[in-house]
Amino acid sequence: MNTQPKPLLADEDIRQLVTARLSVLSPETILSFGSEGNFSRDELLEHVKEGDSIGEKIAQIQLEWLRSLKEGLV
Amino acid sequence: MSVLITRPEHDPTTKHLAHWSQAIVDMAVHKGFDVFDLRRASANRTEFIGRMKKLQPRFVILNGHGDEETVAGHDNEPLIEADVNEDLLYNRITYAVSCNSAAELGVHCSEHPCTTFIGYTDKFIFSLTRSTSSRPLQDVRARPFMESSNQVALALLKGHTAAEASQKSKELFQKNYRSLLSSTSNPDALHDAQLLWWDMMHQVCLGYQEATVMAQKV
Repeated sequence: MNTQPKPLLADEDIRQLVTARLSVLSPETILSFGSEGNFSRDELLEHVKEGDSIGEKIAQIQLEWLRSLKEGLV
Repeated sequence: MSVLITRPEHDPTTKHLAHWSQAIVDMAVHKGFDVFDLRRASANRTEFIGRMKKLQPRFVILNGHGDEETVAGHDNEPLIEADVNEDLLYNRITYAVSCNSAAELGVHCSEHPCTTFIGYTDKFIFSLTRSTSSRPLQDVRARPFMESSNQVALALLKGHTAAEASQKSKELFQKNYRSLLSSTSNPDALHDAQLLWWDMMHQVCLGYQEATVMAQKV
């Protein structure tokens, strides 16, 4: 039985939400992502499109923040 | 009392951490601590282990890339590893500005008596500005992240307990977070606010909560 959680970005609605949020960032934006490197806005969009670990982490941050808003934690 | 700080500087992330940590070094000197600053290539494994054993610093500040079990120095050379040389951090207060290292390394260390580990259980992520990437102290996007993080070390150097220092840092994260959320004209504000929230939520103070850099537990 496969116990791996379904990737967040496999959900097209989530992918579009994350993409929309990243798209409004200024082109000056660089994200420091620890030892995995630094990424420009366009590189982040590419990682979301690819659905790799960096794209998944960006999606996780956005979704957990939205959940915390809903639960009144922030 | 002595303070040891590592400041590798081999990529934009470590360069930002190194430059913004100057405020911590200045405060420690101002407060009369003996400060041992392992900067750039000096932040290597041999130098780090040697200094830790010889100087027995009360307070250790680690800037660098990391994972669950490791914090690295210059050129990502591992300085401290869980189950390998974690004992170097026993009986001290450590603040690791490093991804994920509180998840396992911090937990291991803090199981030892009189030991405190403040760090992050997931990625420590922050925004930079492309045009000021070579001048980190002028980077207004990085400022709220760096200042909120620095508050841990600054509060400890002022005499607060480890638990208080972490709390003060989180309060500054929250203040900066709210300031960004209230911005109506900055297109990057919401994104940066989310990252501040993420870092704040993953900062933990493990082990001896009442530890201070002024004195050992009696």
